[in-house]
Amino acid sequence: MIVFEHVSLEYLPGRFALQDVSFTLNAGSFTFLTGHSGAGKSSLLRLVARLERPTSGDIQVGNIHYNQLRPRQEPALRQQMGIVFQDNQLLPDRSVFDNVAFPLIIGGYRYNDIKTRVSAALNRVGLADKALENPQVLSGGEQQRIGIARAVVARPKLLLADEPTGNLDPDISAEIMQLFMQFNASGVTVLFATHDQSLLDTFRYPRLQLHQGKLTGAPQEDSPAPAARGRQKSDHAR
Amino acid sequence: MSTEQAANAAGPRWTYGKRGYALAQSLRQLKRHKFASLITLLVLGITLALPVMLLFASSALQQLSSRSIEGESLTAYLQDSVSDLDGAALSIEWASREGIRDTRYISRDEALALFRENSDIGAAVDALGANPLPGAIIVFPDSNVLRAGTVEALAASLRQSEAVERVQFDLRWVRRLQAVVSLIQLVGGLLALFLTLTALLVIANTIRLELSRRRSEMEVASLLGASSFFMNRPILYIGALYGLLGGVVASIIAVIAFNAIRQPADDLSSLYESTFRLSHPTPSQIGIVLAVSIALGIVGALSSMYRPSQQLTQRGSNGK
Repeated sequence: MIVFEHVSLEYLPGRFALQDVSFTLNAGSFTFLTGHSGAGKSSLLRLVARLERPTSGDIQVGNIHYNQLRPRQEPALRQQMGIVFQDNQLLPDRSVFDNVAFPLIIGGYRYNDIKTRVSAALNRVGLADKALENPQVLSGGEQQRIGIARAVVARPKLLLADEPTGNLDPDISAEIMQLFMQFNASGVTVLFATHDQSLLDTFRYPRLQLHQGKLTGAPQEDSPAPAARGRQKSDHAR
Repeated sequence: MSTEQAANAAGPRWTYGKRGYALAQSLRQLKRHKFASLITLLVLGITLALPVMLLFASSALQQLSSRSIEGESLTAYLQDSVSDLDGAALSIEWASREGIRDTRYISRDEALALFRENSDIGAAVDALGANPLPGAIIVFPDSNVLRAGTVEALAASLRQSEAVERVQFDLRWVRRLQAVVSLIQLVGGLLALFLTLTALLVIANTIRLELSRRRSEMEVASLLGASSFFMNRPILYIGALYGLLGGVVASIIAVIAFNAIRQPADDLSSLYESTFRLSHPTPSQIGIVLAVSIALGIVGALSSMYRPSQQLTQRGSNGK
């Protein structure tokens, strides 16, 4: 469950990235975060990931109130989330396997667990045969899949995606979207920022609509996906 | 493609632990920038070589001043009327005095024999018919008396004995030697301090460059939930590695330089009939050099990483 209560983020005096934003997302839901460039989508995701702190208001993810969170607890909080970026932020000096293994090394997983989990994650995104490759030699779609594998390898309950299909052509975007849907179907809460109208039209999930930092569209289920709808009763995201 | 095949892409086991990962990253950085790393290590080695040489030489210099001073003695010439028995008894009495390490009585006959042995005019003494040389007591003051400069007071107390005709000593050259050694140690120490600070700055600057190279990786790590310590550990390891390898290079340079100057130093020493010898560095001295260089590397890394890690932490608390 993600709860925003009157959250504002002021980056300069009188200039808001987000202003008085309130909403609740249920555990296991799939929600699009939409709005034009500069609407505040990335800021909202950064707030959820605790990469930014709100100027006012409170954020709750699962049973954690961010206002009560100490700075030294933030890394552990972030380890429980998966984050996918538009530019995928892969490390060019190491293999696909090691890129995906990175969150597990950070989390202190054992060697055999790392091997098992990374292999499973790569298999799931269809890149098991590219494990030894350097990500730089792979296509944009493949790189984004690596980013997704890295985000899900620690089996997080919350997956944040910041325009993950922004640089991809429509066919690849649809494939990436299918991956997110699969993870959502396995119980992962997904918050997916995009301004790709065709994606929004094709996959009709609830939306959080932002405009100039303000929430103009509350989460509403145009046509909730079966996977998402089925789990909205259970509120156990974290 | 099978999951098993993907698992085979994993690297060595030790590189997936937190410490192993940090060490592997540090070694990878050194390997990736071979030439720059080599230059840095040479700069560090040459900078640290003089302090290392001073450390290696310090015990020899200490020995030089100690041995010179400990070999010094006063000679108390006795009255002609003092018999060998009384002279020997006086020698034994003085040996138990405070401030005197040892004594040795030289009888008149022994003095004559020594004179004949060491002097070209020994035969001339026979022409005198009688032994003109007095008995003497060689007094070896203990090192505290020599260092404290109270030899004169000791000599004065010996002169008060009725059996003593004259007390002779000359410690000026030892004092000069001690002053020179002290000056060398002081100037060398200051130079060593400045050069060590230079090495520290070299390491700090190298690490700062390294940090800017690793910035994107640190940001990704931060996004994935890495703690500051996890992000900083490879940098600490790189600092320690630079320190360790710099210390090794410095030790090698110092040993080579020692070997080059050993023979001339020995020649000079033998001219002064000194037992001074430049010896090979001991394992404990090399251990000290390596430990101090590693500490230097870590301090250099800490000093340079303080600001960037703080900036990364602050990114989370600032606005957009």
